[in-house]
Amino acid sequence: MVMSDAPSTIALIGNPNAGKTTLFNALTGANQRVGNYAGVTVEVKSGEAFTPHGRKLRVLDLPGCYSLRANSPDEKVALDALNGLLPGEQKPDLVVCVLDASNLERHLQLALQVIELGLPCVIALNMVDVAERAGLRLDPAKLAEELGVPVVPMQANAKKGVVELKQALRFPHPAASEAGWTTDGTDPESARRAFVTRLCELVASRPDAHQQTLSDRIDSVLLHPVLGWISLVGIFFTVFWSIFSFAEIPMGWIESGQGALGDWIKSLMADGDLRSLVVDGIIGGVGGVVMFLPQIVLLFLFIGLLESSGYMARAAYLMDGVMAKAGLSGKSFLPLFSSYACAIPGIMATRTIDSAKERIVTIFVAPWMSCSARLPVYFLIIPLLLHEKEGTWKQASVLFAIYALGTLTAFVIARLLRGRLGDDVSPGHFLLELPPYRKPQWSYIFRHVIDRAWSFVKKAGTIILGLSILLWALSTYPKSEGDDPAEALAHSAMGRIGAVIEPVVKPLGFDGRMGTAILTSFAAREVFVSSMAILYRVEETESEEETRNVLRDQLAASKWPNGRPIFTPLSLISLLVFFIYALQCLPTSAVVARESGSWKWAVGQFIFMTGFAYVASLLVFQTGKLLGF
Amino acid sequence: MRHALAADLKIDSAMTLNQVRVGCDVQIQVLNGPGCERLRDLGFCEQLQVRKLADGRNLICSVCGTRMAISRELAEQVLVSPVG
Repeated sequence: MVMSDAPSTIALIGNPNAGKTTLFNALTGANQRVGNYAGVTVEVKSGEAFTPHGRKLRVLDLPGCYSLRANSPDEKVALDALNGLLPGEQKPDLVVCVLDASNLERHLQLALQVIELGLPCVIALNMVDVAERAGLRLDPAKLAEELGVPVVPMQANAKKGVVELKQALRFPHPAASEAGWTTDGTDPESARRAFVTRLCELVASRPDAHQQTLSDRIDSVLLHPVLGWISLVGIFFTVFWSIFSFAEIPMGWIESGQGALGDWIKSLMADGDLRSLVVDGIIGGVGGVVMFLPQIVLLFLFIGLLESSGYMARAAYLMDGVMAKAGLSGKSFLPLFSSYACAIPGIMATRTIDSAKERIVTIFVAPWMSCSARLPVYFLIIPLLLHEKEGTWKQASVLFAIYALGTLTAFVIARLLRGRLGDDVSPGHFLLELPPYRKPQWSYIFRHVIDRAWSFVKKAGTIILGLSILLWALSTYPKSEGDDPAEALAHSAMGRIGAVIEPVVKPLGFDGRMGTAILTSFAAREVFVSSMAILYRVEETESEEETRNVLRDQLAASKWPNGRPIFTPLSLISLLVFFIYALQCLPTSAVVARESGSWKWAVGQFIFMTGFAYVASLLVFQTGKLLGF
Repeated sequence: MRHALAADLKIDSAMTLNQVRVGCDVQIQVLNGPGCERLRDLGFCEQLQVRKLADGRNLICSVCGTRMAISRELAEQVLVSPVG
C-alpha cells in the first residue's frame, strides 16, 4: 500500500439540522457558524483535521440537503461537490453521512443515495441521545452490517464519538459499498424506500405512542394563531429595542476613546497638513463608522440566537401568510430580516429558497430593508429635521416610519416583479422543517459574531480609511492663497467636483457639497457622515454626539448664495428619501451578481434603485415646493 | 364536507392530509402530484405514519419524529387512511 502525501478530502453531507456543522466544528475546531434553521451552510466550508495517527485530512462541510436531486441551489452545490464538479475541488476521497438517529426513516434515504454514487462512505449516527430519549432502540452494528459501511454512533454537540469517528476515517479508507437494494431491476426510488422501511424496523424500533415533547408544548404557544403572533411581535420588538438601547453603552466608550485619541495626537503633532490628515481625515472619517460596531454586533448576536434556538423556523412559518401578500413565501423572511443588519448575509441566505424566481425577487428587494449602515445618516438628519436633541420618542417614530417606508416599497415592488416573472416551471410550495428547540450553542454564536465584527472593522480599516484620506486630500488640495476656509474649499478639487455636480442634485434640494458627499457614499453609505464632516470643516470634538451636534449647527447655518438656508425640512426629507432607496453599497452589488449568476441583475438593480431614489427625492422636493413648504 | 369526512374516518379511507382532523394519526397511502418527490425527500413516504398537529394556511405534521410545515397544495397530494 502506498501512502500518498496529499491529505485526503472528507466531505460531510446530511439533511439540514442533522448536525453537520456541529460535527465539522468538533472535527476541525474552525470558525464556523451553526444554526438551528434549515440551510445555514450555504457555501462549502473547508477545514483541517487529523486522524489519531496524525494524518492530515481536509474536511468539507457541504450545505444540508434532503436528497441528491438538487432541488434548490444549495442542494446543487452539495451534489456538485460529491461529483467533484466544484471549481478547484476534487471528488472527495471519503464521504461522511451525518444522520440524525432520531429520524432515520428520512435521513437514511440520503445515505443510500450517497452509497449509490459509489463513493466510500462512513455513517456518523448523530444525536443518539435525542433518539434514546424519544424511546428509540438503536442498533448501529446491525445498520453497519446491512449497509456494508462503518457506522459510528455519536453526539457531536457533546463531542462524544468524535475520536471514534476519526478512527473510522483513518487510512486506508473503507472501500465503497455495493448498493445491494438496487439489483433487482425495480425503480430505484421505491427500492430505496422499501429498503429503508425494512432497515428502520430492524435497527431503530420506534415506540408506537406519539409523545408530547417539550418542543410540542412550546409550539402550542409560539405557533398559536393569537398567542403566536403576540410572541412574534414581542420577540422582534425586544430584539430591536435591545439593539438600540444596549448599544449606547459601548458606543459611549468608543466615542470617548476616539476623542481622547484625537486630542492626544493633536498635542503630539505640530499644526500642519499631516496633523490635519490624521485628526480630521483618518480619526474623524474612520471613527464615525466604527461607532456602529456595537449595534452590528448585537444584531448578529440576536439573529444567531434566534437561529440556533430554532425559533427562526417558527417565525418563517408564521410570516408565510404575510409574505404571500408580497408574492413571496415564509422562506424569504429570514433573508429579508437579516437584511436589516446588512444586505450581504441576507442575500446569501436566499439560497435556501427552492423557487428560483422567488429567490431572485428576494435578492432584488433585500437592499431596501434599511441596513445598519444607513443609521449614521438617519441619526445625523433626523434631529436636524425636528430641531431637537437626540433620543426622543418623536425621533423614534420618524425612524420607524423610515423603516416602514423602505419595507413597504420593497413588498410592492416584489409583488410587481413576481407578477412579471410569472409562475415557476415546477411549483415549489412552502415546505419547512420545524427543528426541535435546542439550547443555543454559545461558543459558535460568539465565534460568528466576532467574525462579522472583524469583517466590519476590516472594511473600516480599508475602504473607509482609503476614502477618508482621499476625501481629505481632495478637499485640501490645490491650496488657495487666502485664509478663508470656505474659499479654500471652493478652490480645492472637491469644491470643483461639487460645482459640476450641483446642477444634477439641485432639483432635489441639495447643494454641491451634499452632492459630493452623496457621491462618496456610493462606496459605502456610512461614509456620508464623515464626508459631510470633512466637507463642512467640522473640528473633531470630545465625543461623537457633540461632533454630530457641531456638524448639525454648521449645516443649519449653511445658506445658498442668495441667503436662503440650504437645509430646510423639505430638503432634509428629500435627503432621507434618497438614502432609503439608493443602492449605495458596492459589496452588495458584487454579492448580488454572484448569487443571481449574472451581472445583469446587479447592474439592473443598481440603476433601478438609484433611479428610483432620484425620482422619489425629486418628487418629494418639487411637490413640497409647489405646496409652499 | 371536510367535517363529515373526518367523522366518517373508518368508512371512507381515501382522503387528503388537508381533510384530517388536527391531532389524528394517519398512514400515508399514496402520493400523487407534482410535489411528491420533494415530499418523499422530507419523509412523507408511503406507509409511514403522520400526525397532524395544526391546520391553517400551512399544516404542521409530525413525521417520524420531525415536525414539518407544508402548504395546503402539497398536503392535497398526500392521500392517507386512518390508523387502527
